Amino acid sequence: MIPARIATHPIPRQASDTSTHPIPHVSDPPTLRNRDRMPPSAPTLHVGDLHKSYGDHHVLRGVELEVPPGRLVGVVGENGSGKSTLLRILAGRLTPDRGTVSFPGSLGYCPQHTVLNPAFTVDQHLRFFQVAYGLPDLERAHELLDILNFAAYRRHRVATLSGGTRQKLNLTLALMHDPPLLLLDEPYQGFDWDTYERFWDLAATLRDQGRSVLVISHIAFDTARFDQLWRLDGGLLATGANTAGADITGVRTAD
Amino acid sequence: MRLAWTRYSTATGYALLEHLRNRLALVLVVFFVPIWITLVYLVINDAEVTFFLRASGRNITVDGNDVTKISGAINAVTLIVGFMMFIVTYRSAEFDERLAMAGYPRGHLLAAKLTSLITAAALICAYATAIICCYWVPARPALLWLALFGAALAFGGIGVMLGALLRGELEGMFLIIMLSIIDMGLQNPVANPASDNGIVRFLPSYGTMQSGVTAGFLHTTPALHLLLGPLWFLATVTIAGITFRLRTRDRRRHIPFLGAL
Repeated sequence: MIPARIATHPIPRQASDTSTHPIPHVSDPPTLRNRDRMPPSAPTLHVGDLHKSYGDHHVLRGVELEVPPGRLVGVVGENGSGKSTLLRILAGRLTPDRGTVSFPGSLGYCPQHTVLNPAFTVDQHLRFFQVAYGLPDLERAHELLDILNFAAYRRHRVATLSGGTRQKLNLTLALMHDPPLLLLDEPYQGFDWDTYERFWDLAATLRDQGRSVLVISHIAFDTARFDQLWRLDGGLLATGANTAGADITGVRTAD
Repeated sequence: MRLAWTRYSTATGYALLEHLRNRLALVLVVFFVPIWITLVYLVINDAEVTFFLRASGRNITVDGNDVTKISGAINAVTLIVGFMMFIVTYRSAEFDERLAMAGYPRGHLLAAKLTSLITAAALICAYATAIICCYWVPARPALLWLALFGAALAFGGIGVMLGALLRGELEGMFLIIMLSIIDMGLQNPVANPASDNGIVRFLPSYGTMQSGVTAGFLHTTPALHLLLGPLWFLATVTIAGITFRLRTRDRRRHIPFLGAL
């Protein structure tokens, strides 16, 4: 279990609050924090020439993307820039007009809004997805409950949980089968500050274990957490952006 | 085989649990069915009505109050089972899609939903038949239960289909209520003296009304009419299954390796 960090900030803020944290420019020179330990292997995720339009509105205009193993990468962009559209296509939930998406294994997808059943308890969700994933046990899922600090709610029905706790379960369902590729769409919405920090510790641990983690974000605080960062603008990804070393939160992630 | 059973039994257990957590549906089952049949017993005129019963191929003359108890029971069970299945399917649509994309076999999920439908329909129809028997003993109570079961299956299937197709809760509820009202409004010979019109054959509860009236007053078995409800059920759940399959297909192109979510 990753130990909890003590927040130095006076507020337990909502992680999705962007009102005072505009998206920074992401054209800093690339200085990959984890370059030295990156295994020289084939990309876990490869995306080529991805296009998507809604009527006359061209959301994606030829997105190219590669995520190698053991990399924590981010895609930022303003509201409506197409971040969630991109992730839904990568997860196979939305049909692109053109382009290819490939990955050589299973993936974990955490949608932006919680997709749970309010009639079931946390434990019942875990059991249902244990059968779906074909897992022999729930050891990893229970470990995630501890990391995200909501093990006390195992017997609570989802209908009675707070928004933040629902989001923790939403995230747990995407991670519990320990896939090599993780697609997380603003997975910390509603988290308190301590859990927000725990999430980034967890993401860094997964990266260090060789998983490829792609996080959609629009929070300035997040940008220092990534090995590589893209900005989605005008339907294209601006590549080469990186903010490693510029830890603007003042709290380093585990590495 | 054991894995298939685990998948089916787990999904079925949770599908039944969803129904048990639907308190409004349980309240409707417990109170709506007896209130509706009791009101029919107290209010509807018991004057005799004569109409052409296609299931027997002849005109029959029966007590208007008794035949309305049958149509009232059909109305009650179709509304409740249709509502139960629509709500469960509609509210868990995204969750079921997530399960399917995570690797849960769609066939097992659908089979579990249908098992819960059949179980709920069988129990509710037995309850409705028992309440009818409190006021009047039909010629063949078991056959009346079977007839009601057909209507419950038909509307349960319609509920599953609407839950899979629609993206608005109000639209689904409205459609089920309107369909049930039209269905019974046209087929009850007390409310509609022209209830033997050929158009009523295309209504979901036509088979049940014919076989239900036969069970109430005659000693024949209208096998073909009993099959019409299950036929509606099969058609509607097939549409629901195809919709679910399309919704949960992997939409990426040119993928060399398929993964699970």
